Amino acid sequence: MIGFRPGASPLHRAHPYTPLAVAGALLCLVFAARTPAEVGALALAAVALAIVGGATGYVARPALMLALPTWLLLFVLHGVLGPDPHRAVGALQISEPGLAHALVLGGRITAILFAFLTVLATVSPARLVEAMTERGVSFAATYLLVSTLTVVPRLRARAAGILEAQQCRGLRLGGSPVARLAALGPLVLPLILGALAEVDEQVLALDTRGVTSGRVRTALDPPPDSAPEWALRWVCAVVVLGAWSSRLLDLLLTLGTRAQELGR
Amino acid sequence: MTLVRLREASFRYAGGHAPALDGISLDVLSGEVVALAGRPGSGTSTLLLVAGGYAPRLVGGTLTGERVIAATRPSVVFATPWTQLTGLCQTVFAEVAFGPASHGQERERIRATVARQLARLGVEHLASRDPATLSGGELQRVIVAAALALEPDLLLLDDPAAELDPDAADALYDLLRELAAAGTAVMVATPDTERAARAATRGIVLEAGRIVHDGAPAAMPA
Amino acid sequence: MTDTGLAVRWEGVSHDYGAGAVLRDLSLAIEPGDAVALLGSNGAGKTTLTRMLMGLVRPRAGRVSVGDWDVAGRRPDEMALRVGYAFQHADQQLFARSVREDVAFGPRRLGQGEGLVDEVLGELDLAALAARHPYDLPVPVRKLVTLAGVLAMRPRVCVLDEPTAGFDRGLRELVIAAVRRRTAGGVTVLAVSHDRAFVSAVARRVIRLDGGRIAADARTDSPG
Repeated sequence: MIGFRPGASPLHRAHPYTPLAVAGALLCLVFAARTPAEVGALALAAVALAIVGGATGYVARPALMLALPTWLLLFVLHGVLGPDPHRAVGALQISEPGLAHALVLGGRITAILFAFLTVLATVSPARLVEAMTERGVSFAATYLLVSTLTVVPRLRARAAGILEAQQCRGLRLGGSPVARLAALGPLVLPLILGALAEVDEQVLALDTRGVTSGRVRTALDPPPDSAPEWALRWVCAVVVLGAWSSRLLDLLLTLGTRAQELGR
Repeated sequence: MTLVRLREASFRYAGGHAPALDGISLDVLSGEVVALAGRPGSGTSTLLLVAGGYAPRLVGGTLTGERVIAATRPSVVFATPWTQLTGLCQTVFAEVAFGPASHGQERERIRATVARQLARLGVEHLASRDPATLSGGELQRVIVAAALALEPDLLLLDDPAAELDPDAADALYDLLRELAAAGTAVMVATPDTERAARAATRGIVLEAGRIVHDGAPAAMPA
Repeated sequence: MTDTGLAVRWEGVSHDYGAGAVLRDLSLAIEPGDAVALLGSNGAGKTTLTRMLMGLVRPRAGRVSVGDWDVAGRRPDEMALRVGYAFQHADQQLFARSVREDVAFGPRRLGQGEGLVDEVLGELDLAALAARHPYDLPVPVRKLVTLAGVLAMRPRVCVLDEPTAGFDRGLRELVIAAVRRRTAGGVTVLAVSHDRAFVSAVARRVIRLDGGRIAADARTDSPG
């Protein structure tokens, strides 16, 4: 299930900025990587992140459920219908450049899913709020980030309640596509209406607890940080910078070479 | 001391068919426990929002007439506790500490305040629990503790005992009397006029946004 | 409202949510047409017990039946043909553009006519609000609308979770009258409630749960 799960893994115990930095670096690097081998290595690194976070058990399933249909689509669109040269593999004609492209795209999606879901599972929203408060980040920015991280589990919990209530009124799940479509209204509308009403109420609740007091918030229990973690975050930033600089340089060189060729 | 003064105050929600409050005049003094009663839609919840300065600021709408709020630390508790969670706190302790922390109070002071309020509401044993796992009654008491952690001079409550069992409801109303005795002004909207009448120093009944009774709590219709 | 109520039985039911037992080898039988109040502090197991009747919670051990139906083999939408469950927090089911449309949703789903809809709206003093959008109404009235939605499905067993929480005397009287009409018609009623006035007005039997077991079980003198 998507969302934070309490635990004692190194990611759980780390300063919240650290898993965010590592996952963020992976996300940036997968777009700098261009070959299946590079992307594959990053995807494996993202899976390793999930293992370190003790989260493979509940990250693998949603990640694969989202990734596998995409892989299939990519395989058909690029691997089968891609440009020449083609090579026979059993009964299929596989496009070599197309397959490489599919592997890169699929690997990127897999890496992103594993990294993102691992962060959701191992970074406690409450600890993140404390960490950001201690660093002087404004409440608005803090709330925006944390709400984004927790929106899926919150909506899911709400949806589960709505589903139960409507089933108890005779709503049957499954059946023909028309029946399924008809079932959406009673499920989705209370979700939206309720979520909107909840926004109003939450604005009131937060305001009455002083978030607009204008004073600097106190971090009651900020998570501890350490020199190695701080160093790791800087390494992530440097690696990303290096990878993208290299990519940019390659791009400029390629453009330069093409311009020269055109000039001749 | 007069903490809230309203003179011929009327309030209409954006898109509202009729005024939610119509020509309300009243003063709320420190040390009072004012019970507000009225059928659903009579304006009791709106009166709390207006008295606390939350309407129209946060809910939109238009306010006419005179309103003077001398209270510097209003605090409000609504009937639905699960809508008053910040959603940002992993423990009850952190949830109750949220308000004082937002006001930049020192850690030691916050910890002492929170411990005191949790004990007052009889929920100290829930301090390390996740607020999302509490029952309605437990959560409501936590929300009241969170409101009290701000040490309000004006406490507004909208049906605070809706989720509470009878003993807990009695304890809550006793607490409201205690708070008033220490100088806080308390306004509590409730359908439970019998229980409120025992704790209140004054009873106000609203009908269609107007005050139809303002006096002895015992004289409020049940 | 002349449908006969059904018997409800929990036999040797145990359940936990992974952090300690919520129900411990509990057996309870409610006869058709009886009106029972279920009391107990938070966490005593009341809601878990009632949710088992709809198949929302499957017991780890034991058997739950409604009439001749074993709940184990039924989905919640099937149980809705026999059991009307009024949730404590009403807003989770309101979605239609009008009160009437929302109340009619359940009967339509179950293939029943809408004949009872207007009758129930009148009974709960909601007729004048039939065309209003539920979310335009105050919270207690929305709760009444969801109750109307449950009663309009002609349940033979009515399960009410805190049906009068947040209600003033007027609304409470409406609910009491509606429940009494059903019990007089032989419908089985099970209500979880902290409201002493409501319990004494409708319940003929009061059961108290404590720590997942039945701590007290007594008949009352209520006319019910």
